[in-house]
Amino acid sequence: MTVFKTFWKVVKRYKGTIIGFTLMLVIFGSINMSSNDVTSSFKETKPDIIIVNNDNTILADGLVSYFKENANIIDVKNTERAIDDAIFYRDASYVIYIPDGYEDNILNGGNGNIEIKSSGDYTSNLAEMLLTRYIKAIKVLSKEYSDKTTLLSKVNNALDENSKVELTTKINTTELSRLSRYYNFASYTLIAVILFIICLVLSSFNKETTRKRIVVSSMDYKKHNKYILIASSLYSIFVVILYTILAFIIFGSLTFTERGLLYILNTFIFSFVALCMALFISTLVKNKEAVSGIVNVVALSQAFLCGAFIPVVWLPESVIKIAHVLPAYWYINTNDFLAELEVLSFTNLKPIWINMLILIIFAIIFIILNNIASRKKMVL
Amino acid sequence: MFIHNFKYSLKVLFRNKSLIFWTFIFPILLGTFFHMAFKDIENNETFHAFDIAVVNSPYYENNTIFKKAINEASKESDNKLFNVKVVNKKDASKMLENKEITGYLEFSNSDVNIIINDNGIYETILKFFVDEVNSNKKIIENTVNEEISKGNLDYQMVISNVMEKLNETVEFKNISRSNLSYTMIEYYTLIAMAALYGGAISMYIINKNMPNMSSVGKRNSTAPIPKSTLLLSGLLASLVVQITGLILLFIYTIFILKIDYNSNIWLIALLAVVGSLAGLSLGCIIGTILKTNENAKSGILIAVTMFLSFLSGMMGITMKYVIDKNIPILNMINPAAMITDGFYALYYYGFESRYIFNILSLIVFSLIMLLISSISLRRQKYDSI
Amino acid sequence: MKKIIEVKNLSKSYKNLKAIDDLSFDVYEGEILGLLGPNGSGKSTTINSILNLLEFEKGTIKIFGKIMKPDAYDIKRDIGVIFQEVAVFEELTVYENIDYFCGLYVSDKLLRKSYVEDAINLVGLKEFTKFYPKQLSGGLLRRLNIACGIAHKPKLIFLDEPTVAVDPQSRNNILDGIKKLRDDGATIVYTTHYMEEVEMICDRIIILDKGKILAEGTTDELKSLAKLEEKITLEVKKISSKVVDEIKTFKTVDSVIQNGNNLVITYKKGKDNLGELTSFLHSKKVTYSKIFSERPTLNDVFLELTGKDLRD
Repeated sequence: MTVFKTFWKVVKRYKGTIIGFTLMLVIFGSINMSSNDVTSSFKETKPDIIIVNNDNTILADGLVSYFKENANIIDVKNTERAIDDAIFYRDASYVIYIPDGYEDNILNGGNGNIEIKSSGDYTSNLAEMLLTRYIKAIKVLSKEYSDKTTLLSKVNNALDENSKVELTTKINTTELSRLSRYYNFASYTLIAVILFIICLVLSSFNKETTRKRIVVSSMDYKKHNKYILIASSLYSIFVVILYTILAFIIFGSLTFTERGLLYILNTFIFSFVALCMALFISTLVKNKEAVSGIVNVVALSQAFLCGAFIPVVWLPESVIKIAHVLPAYWYINTNDFLAELEVLSFTNLKPIWINMLILIIFAIIFIILNNIASRKKMVL
Repeated sequence: MFIHNFKYSLKVLFRNKSLIFWTFIFPILLGTFFHMAFKDIENNETFHAFDIAVVNSPYYENNTIFKKAINEASKESDNKLFNVKVVNKKDASKMLENKEITGYLEFSNSDVNIIINDNGIYETILKFFVDEVNSNKKIIENTVNEEISKGNLDYQMVISNVMEKLNETVEFKNISRSNLSYTMIEYYTLIAMAALYGGAISMYIINKNMPNMSSVGKRNSTAPIPKSTLLLSGLLASLVVQITGLILLFIYTIFILKIDYNSNIWLIALLAVVGSLAGLSLGCIIGTILKTNENAKSGILIAVTMFLSFLSGMMGITMKYVIDKNIPILNMINPAAMITDGFYALYYYGFESRYIFNILSLIVFSLIMLLISSISLRRQKYDSI
Repeated sequence: MKKIIEVKNLSKSYKNLKAIDDLSFDVYEGEILGLLGPNGSGKSTTINSILNLLEFEKGTIKIFGKIMKPDAYDIKRDIGVIFQEVAVFEELTVYENIDYFCGLYVSDKLLRKSYVEDAINLVGLKEFTKFYPKQLSGGLLRRLNIACGIAHKPKLIFLDEPTVAVDPQSRNNILDGIKKLRDDGATIVYTTHYMEEVEMICDRIIILDKGKILAEGTTDELKSLAKLEEKITLEVKKISSKVVDEIKTFKTVDSVIQNGNNLVITYKKGKDNLGELTSFLHSKKVTYSKIFSERPTLNDVFLELTGKDLRD
């Protein structure tokens, strides 16, 4: 079986590449992007802030302890450089500088002369709302209570409101969104690994000389093509199984729930599209050196534009429109849909069936294109 | 002789398709992908007025405090919090399910219920709004009680005083630096990556001058010219090609992608040249000290470059910050981080010590790498070729 | 005669394997010296050591009467080397490649231009000057490889198996070129494992095996080393073993081997053997369809000396 042997040789030779991509999947696909824990009750988002307290007074300490309660205090070196870096990299979104004389100023009816730094994102808005509310409260109440400790406790008491919140969602979105993220990222590594190996194998077969040798050799050309197809399919299935096993190691039994099986089915269909794409590309590209360039461009473009690296909700409208012509978009769309769907039923899943159908159409298009391209080549 | 070899080296390098692809075209493609994917991220992270609903009921109609507060918060202004729709409960819950609204409020006799679907910043702000109205109620109650106990019986006056104070805007002096766009780091790491990829070019030159690496190297070794002359002129050509690539990348990022370097062109150019030198030296050291074939060497160069770019934040800028904060030494010896940090310093802090430090570290790094390479080249005697 | 190369007691080993074992020989001005030996006999290692590309353990090498060192640029200036592998830049055209390598020796542009054109004419690549190496066939590529090595008109030329895997037309072109270089005054060291080539062009031959010199001399001198002088091959339909036995008893016959329809008869001495044989066969009424006589080849000499074939 020269075909299988060659396949195996190429796989063995490029095992570093395969392992590299798989490691990337494990690292980036399983990182917990949202720090939210599993919740069935509402959890407030706390802004990340830094407080620089230059006023060693009771009221200043009161402000600090209020924020310790209602925000995450980020620990950085007490240098302006470190604080500026923290703001830039969004380690903290808000910095509160309590100036010397804050207490006196508040007690005299001022705003405390507080200076702030802000990253300008929405968590910084939240931090500023907290600060504003606090300053207003202490300003009003300071008129009524002259004892500082009483004043602080009255302020804290007034601000300690906890309205009733009802969370309607029932599914465990956090775990599911992690699993979804894993499979989304897998779209990138899957394309890369399948395209790379299959294109390399086929380019070594397609090489003008070997091509001639095969055509004249006793081996039936049709049979030869069939073997290539079988070997490529086996290899693709192997990759999907490998990724499923990894998913099981990372996410446990969730991998094989009803929902998990749908993710696997989706991945399986997607790997078929990748396989057809690989066959088409390898017909177009004869040059072995060009393979890694083309594979990288194809894999990276889908990863960036379809949401494998950056969630689709963060992508601009115009990019999402472009992404519709790429198969990875439909694959990732299914994953995202599965992560949020509350109840599974055949009718509920209709969008998924449509997505899968579109993927299969993509595969068929690649097969047709491949046939056209290879027929042209025969004539040449 | 120097010029002869320099000229032909330029020709050879510019005509090598795969070198040109990886060092010229690939970074530009990657930059385009970055641009498409990251364009909206920061905009998404700034606060936008969000949509909520209120369930229509007599309780809501009669809750004047809330009604007033909701009107105030949904009024067109700089401080607008949300857009509000008053609908029946069924519609509200449908809108929530379809993600048309962040959440809705349902009033009962004494209470208000917040119904939401997710944990998040807008949900938190919605809750914060409700909390604040309740807090304000409490503050007013407190104040009135205190005033009455002090003998001030004009509580209407007290209430309106307090209300006025609570509605005053409180301003804080914002002393943030400008230029807070963190996605810029992605492009800076991209340039760092491109600069280090340039090592592939210098490595190509090295390989073509080593008799154990290529047949051309063997032929060059029989020529009546010191190897140092061939290498120096070849590496100079490599530097020219590398810098040409970076210039194209700069033109593309500045004029097409509109990347903000916020600085004097000469300072950017200096960093680019020093960065190219670092890439060149990286190629030299991998080319000279590793005893393996050409393919393996370029594989190693790419892997090293990707890893260094990863540490300097290309696959998530947090990585760079976490290392800067906790293990700064690691990024001080990482040329990709030095280049990235140099651009960051120019962008955020302007021309000052941090930029200069990065320039100097890059020069030191390059000199050390080149020194090691030349020692290893000098020592190299070929036991077999 | 002037000695161009003097090799004395050269030894070199790779790990445990002795590649060259105490080798000494001289190359004289204006000759083509053939280094003949099977693959792995140390031919390339010898050349690489002479050129100081390789480190060797022992021995001295003098070229043009001076000690050869890696930085002996005055010596290198007059040497041209053509390696076994094609050593050209894929990114440069035929003309540019030759010009590049020539330029490492000759700075003067005008002179170089005429040198490059001479080289192109010598190897017959005139119509291909704008081609890239990828567009050339194997034989043309070899010719380019040679042009790159000799364009600077060196006084001493090393050719390391320049005709491996080359079509007959290119091979003849290459061999003619080499002879022409010698006629123009160059001294040439030529390694190969094709003995026909050596017989055709070499003035003197050194046969190497396992890093040692087996024999040295002109073609005729070497052939005289072989005990046999003539080999007659006879194609017969039918011949009785009695007749064969009778042939064996001829005074000058060394051996008779029957191989199917072929009868190979080797002679120790060679005078009128063919005539004697044909009249004998005639008298025995043996009819034959083919008969031919061969002089011994260098392969036979090699066989004689080592007991194995040159090419395996």
